[in-house]
Amino acid sequence: MKDSLRRTLWISRVTFLEAVRQRFFAFLLVLSAAMVLSSVSLRVFDFGHGELKFIADFGFGGMFFFGSVLAVVMTAQLFFSEIDNKTALTLLAKPLSRPEFLLGKFFGAWAVLGVFVLVLASLQGVVLWAREQELIAAAEQAGRIPTTFSIVGLCQLVLLQWLRLGVVIAIVLAISSLARTFLFTVVVGSLAVVAGQLQWIAQDAFLRPTDSPAYAAFLWISTRLIPNLQQFNLADALVLGSSAVEEGALIAVCLSGLAYLVAYLTLGSLIFRQREI
Amino acid sequence: MNSAISVRHLTKDFRIGIRGLKLRAVDDLSLEIPRGQVYGLLGPNGCGKSTTLKVVLGLVSATAGEISILGEPSATSAARRRTGFLPEAPYFHKFLTGRELVRYCAQLSGVAASDLDAAVEDALGLAAMKEAAGRPIGTYSKGMLQRIGFAQAVVHDPELIILDEPTAGVDPVGSASIGRMIHAMRDKGKTVVLCSHLLGQVEQVCDRVAIMDRGKLVLEGAVEDVLSRRDRHVMTIEAMTPAARTAAEAALEAHGAKITSVTHPRRSLEDLFRELVTGSRDA
Ligand SMILES: Nc1ncnc2c1ncn2[C@@H]1O[C@H](COP(=O)(O)OP(=O)(O)O)[C@@H](O)[C@H]1O
Ligand SMILES: [Mg+2]
Repeated sequence: MKDSLRRTLWISRVTFLEAVRQRFFAFLLVLSAAMVLSSVSLRVFDFGHGELKFIADFGFGGMFFFGSVLAVVMTAQLFFSEIDNKTALTLLAKPLSRPEFLLGKFFGAWAVLGVFVLVLASLQGVVLWAREQELIAAAEQAGRIPTTFSIVGLCQLVLLQWLRLGVVIAIVLAISSLARTFLFTVVVGSLAVVAGQLQWIAQDAFLRPTDSPAYAAFLWISTRLIPNLQQFNLADALVLGSSAVEEGALIAVCLSGLAYLVAYLTLGSLIFRQREI
Repeated sequence: MNSAISVRHLTKDFRIGIRGLKLRAVDDLSLEIPRGQVYGLLGPNGCGKSTTLKVVLGLVSATAGEISILGEPSATSAARRRTGFLPEAPYFHKFLTGRELVRYCAQLSGVAASDLDAAVEDALGLAAMKEAAGRPIGTYSKGMLQRIGFAQAVVHDPELIILDEPTAGVDPVGSASIGRMIHAMRDKGKTVVLCSHLLGQVEQVCDRVAIMDRGKLVLEGAVEDVLSRRDRHVMTIEAMTPAARTAAEAALEAHGAKITSVTHPRRSLEDLFRELVTGSRDA
């Protein structure tokens, strides 16, 4: 057990190294950082709640979009670079099990996205804080109540985004373990992310009564198979306090994310076991 | 004593394309590879050598047949802990340095943390890769790739070392040094299994060979037995004169022996190359 953990850790360490030594990661990081920072110049001058919301929407939108791109493309790339370059052959001839290999890939990619989310959220926090100070000063002069944002909420949101990207990585790895090519994995992985974004529509539809059992079965299966990725988007509520978020609801979202993550990794490991390298 | 590798009636079919056409890569192959020898698996490209080795290592599953290595089923990690493998045309993680790669492989193979540094340096020394070990693998020449591959295969001191085309694409000087590494392993009591289509080199390195063709075994035995023609003899004579030759012919004929050919010995182009060229720059 301890050896197994260690091997997983070594695989993820090298996976992490590989990813951060690539230009793709740096490129996306710089691009998204530029997006967060540019929200300062694009702001609407209404000195109110709307302004912080604009900055937050813009920044978290960028984190969400580029994070998903990174999670899909980079994970597929990290997996297929080992398969196509036959380095997986060298590694798997050692006392390393297939699930250890896949889990190593997972944690390596997840760590990279952790860095990504953390860097962007820190920038976002600085931008929000700077604007908040200006708004407070302006509000005092005008004798209004200033708008503020919540640091704790920002931290919670970072964790939620990271978990959400972890679910995406797990899905992409499950697809990779089955797929023959990088391109197929990226295409199907992207579709899965889009499906996850739209999952709530199927969930809504499922709650309405229907005559067709086949349609109901389809909805039931798709709402179980595909995680609802929208449920992690609590930026307004957590950071700007637009509505109260109950602790229980937050925990439920986390647990559901973890459950999908574990389920997809298990599925991926089972498929990868059968794969001929 | 049990064999290092025992393959019994191994058959491997690959399914190709969506229609699942079958391609038989290995066809009812049986082999017993003894311990402590250098064993060569020979044959033309595509005859199933690599596939056989992959099945032995549990990297692909057998369609039929049984395999054991070092007395254990090949899929167990216990067996793989005692085995080292250099894959065909190796490409390693380009962004790592040679030393980082060997270290990584040592860790995955279960080398204890306290022995790690010594094991890595030993393996690098054995493969003559100490000088280049600090460079990224992306900058290595083909010969260096094979040598760093050799280092990662032996870093955990395995009993059985499996090398897939260890000298493919390597110049004769490099091949000779790989040959010496292989003999060094055998002298330590290890079993080395290699596959190759470069027959001249195999002849110099192996104790025993098996020849495969289209997935089937066509010949197996000790190199000496397979190659020597015990009914013929070769003498190498210096300072021969025509008179000496006539006398020798007469003397041999008196005993009923017959000279069928007289030629000048030739060295192989490879030997000549090795004499002239002292070493490539990356050696
Ligand atoms: N993964 C695979 N899928 C389909 N066919 C394969 C695969 N691997 C090898 N083959 C086929 O099996 C045969 C044997 O291949 P291989 O064992 O690599 O030959 P060798 O190593 O002797 O050159 C070849 O015809 C090759 O095309
Ligand atoms: Mg081959």
